[in-house]
Formats: sequence, C-alpha cells, structure tokens
Amino acid sequence: MGDDPTRRQVLKNAARGAALLGLTGSAGYLFTRSGRASSWLIDPERCINSRLGALGVEICQACASECVVALSAVRAVNDHARCGRCYICPAYYSVTSAVDQEGLPSEKLCPRDAIRREPIGEVDPYDPANNFYEYLIDEELCNGCGICVMACKEPAGLGSLRLEVRYDLCIDCNMCAIARACPEDAYLELPDGHAREPSTG
Amino acid sequence: MSERAAAERAQQRRYQQVLTIAGKGTAAHQFRETLRGIALDAAGRVVAVGDSTLRVFDPAGVLLHSWATEKPGQCVALGPDGRVWVGQEGQLEVFAPFEGGGAGEQQARRVDVWRDAELLGRVTAIGHAGDWVLVADASARRIRRFDRTGKHLNDIGGDERARAFLIPNGVLDFAVDAEHVVHAANPGKHRVERYTLAGELVGRMGRFDGRDPEGFAGCCNPTNVTLAGGGRLCVSEKAAPRVKLYDGAGKLLAIVSDEAFDPGCKNMDVAVDALGRVFVVDTVRLTICVFAARENGKEEGARR
Repeated sequence: MGDDPTRRQVLKNAARGAALLGLTGSAGYLFTRSGRASSWLIDPERCINSRLGALGVEICQACASECVVALSAVRAVNDHARCGRCYICPAYYSVTSAVDQEGLPSEKLCPRDAIRREPIGEVDPYDPANNFYEYLIDEELCNGCGICVMACKEPAGLGSLRLEVRYDLCIDCNMCAIARACPEDAYLELPDGHAREPSTG
Repeated sequence: MSERAAAERAQQRRYQQVLTIAGKGTAAHQFRETLRGIALDAAGRVVAVGDSTLRVFDPAGVLLHSWATEKPGQCVALGPDGRVWVGQEGQLEVFAPFEGGGAGEQQARRVDVWRDAELLGRVTAIGHAGDWVLVADASARRIRRFDRTGKHLNDIGGDERARAFLIPNGVLDFAVDAEHVVHAANPGKHRVERYTLAGELVGRMGRFDGRDPEGFAGCCNPTNVTLAGGGRLCVSEKAAPRVKLYDGAGKLLAIVSDEAFDPGCKNMDVAVDALGRVFVVDTVRLTICVFAARENGKEEGARR
C-alpha cells in the first residue's frame, strides 16, 4: 500500500502534463504551417530515359522501383504542345511488334497499359491515319517506370514525355530514396522547399 | 526463310559506301552546325546547304565554290537553267548558275529572292515542273505551286479532310518527275503519295511495318524522298536511320544502307545521280555519304 500523493506531487504532475501537451500541440501546429520540407525535380537533361543523345541504352526504372511508396510518386507526363499526335506513337505502341489486321502494331509498350489513345475530332472512316491522336497518361496506373519516356526520345519521337514527381503523392522522405539511387544524379532538390504545382499530363 | 526470299534479301543489300564528303568542323569544306539539303547537277557536282552557307563539291568531293546565304539553308534545288534555289525560313533565294571547274570562292550573284512569311513558312523542298516552281512549306504542311514570277497558284495537300501532310519531324519533302507527278513523303501516314500539280491524289505506296524492311518503321517515316530513275524512288528513314530504293509499285529493291549513319540522324536529304549513285546527308556528322551498287565486287557503272 503506497503513500497517498502529496499536494505538491499532484501539482507537479499536472504541470508536466500541461507542458507536454503544449509542446506537442506547438510542434504539430508548426509542422502544418511549414508545409513540405523539400521538393524534388527530375532534370530531363540528366535522366537517362529522356537525355538527348543517349541512344541504345538500357531503360532506367529506378523511379518506379526505389520509391518507398508502394506505387511510386513519380509519373510520366506528356507535353501536348510538343507531342506529334502521331497515328502510330512509339511510346504507346511497341513499334517492333507484328502488324495487326488494321496495319497497326499488335502490342502496346506500357507494361501497365497506362496510356490512353484517343482520336482528336472525327476519324476519317476511309483512312484512320488521316487524323491526329491524343495520348493521355492514366495516373492511377502509371508507376513512373520510364519506358514510354525512353521510347518517345528523339529521334524516334519528339521527346514530349518526361518523368515528374507528383507532390500530392510524394510523402517527403527525409532523404529521397530515388534521388539516392538515381545513377545519373538527375534529382534536384528545390532550395526554397516550396512544393511545385503538378503539371497536367 | 526460303531460298528465294534469302536470295532476294541478299540482292537488296548490294550497295557500298564509296565516298564521304564534307564533315563537321571549321575547315573550308566543312559545316559547323547544320547540313540540311543537297542537289546534284548533270555533271555530278554536289550542291549542299547548311549553316548559312552554300558549298559546291566536284564528283570526287573536292570543294569548288562556297558562298553565304542570307539565312540558314533548309533545302537546295537546281532549276532547269542551272540557277540555284535555296529554301529558308520565310523566303527562298535564287542564285545565278555557278561556273564549273577550279576551286575557290565564287562571287555569288543572287538574282532573285521570294519573301512571304505566310506562303513560305519554312521551305524544306523545292522542285521545278515546266513553267512552275513547287515549294514545300513545312510550317503549313503543304506543297505550294507558283509560276516563275512567284505568283501563287494552288496548294497540294491542303485539303482539310486530308489534314494536309502529317510531318511530326518538321520537314516536308517531295520530288517531281518528268510527267509532272509530285511524289511527296507523308511520314505520319507511312507513305509516299502521288499528286498532280492541281493537287489531286492519284496514288500512293508504302505501309507501316516495324519488322519487314519493306515497310516504314517507327512513328513517322519515310522522312525524305527523291527520284532514282526508271520510276524508282529512293527514301530515307529515321530511328533507325536507313536509306532504301523502291520501284513505283512499292516493292523494295534495295537497302542502300542501314548502318552507315549516326543513330541520331533524321530528315536525311537524299539524291541520286545519273550513274545511280545515292547521296545521303548525315545530319549529325554533317557529311554527305555516297553509295554505289556493287556487281560482282565492282562498283556499278551507269544504271539509269
């Protein structure tokens, strides 16, 4: 049977509790006020998948495999102003696959089927090639593997596809695991810590 | 592969490179940044444009003449009177015929210039048919027909239903034959299309195929086309760069080369001389590669 706490002990414990509560609350408040600690930008001129002149090299899939998030925070993004809107897109189709009955490649390139191909305007029923096509990334499926980016690179394509970190998906690790693993040192940390608005893709 | 198919394939690979002209550098015969267009005269001389310079080489590749152009040349063609036509951004320049023989600077005499930002957006090919001048405007994706005074008559490939020419690579190329049929490369459709001067589509050849070399691979090929005599066509492709010969019906006759060029090449201008030699611009190394067909280990003579 222990001694009953004295008035002094009760007051002492109460003060300690209040201090802890105040400290936690303040930390939480400060955390939410500060926003993100850092932002990451993928330099397309360093990334091996998009870098001009790097032809015949193996695709780097570190953005997909190294992110600590189950489905990487990196996505492919298509710059539609630069896209050729081709009938046969080398990033959408596996252009070396056998030709189907419609004269198109029989296989798609994306292993996750994350690219949609939609005609722009009405399709000429006599000549489907007589049209432009829009290529859209499905961000629910894309994991930033970079296969389409490599296939879109000049001279095969026009280089409209690139990889981008999605800040609404990134959990802002203390040290980005992809940045550490990137063989080309293509990850740049933005100095001001302000998150960038994600591009439309 | 059957024996017949194997024999056919072997026959298709019967060209060898015999000469390399120009190159990348600062020497008098070299180009610094760009080499875009070539044309051949009846004597086998090579006219080449790049940077803001026009250079004339003899059949052995020795520099004969060199002079400046107002803007970087996108293409070059020789008129029936020997005049030199250079396509540029928003304009084309016409120079007097050059003198043959002897090296050194020729005093360039510009005899005409056509300026029209709207009708001559970026001129990437020029052809002559009788009294008319045909100009490929890559900005508008159309071939335009003018008379000799520069008056615009009509467009070829301007039909909106046809979406004009689909040229993601930014270059529109064509050749016009003796019957005034225009053979235009339409890379977005993987075809060479034939038009009358009035703009009527009268035929086409080619199909996409990423495996069969008879097809055109990738997203947009062929990029360039020229006539090779006897109704034949010579085309160039990008990714991977290669040059091929076809008959008028689209049957593959020969793969001139698929390994001589820098892998980054695209929009390689091509020309074929009276001896059947094929001239190809390597747009990365800034060289003109010359190929000749070999017959029993020897270079073939006149074939055209």
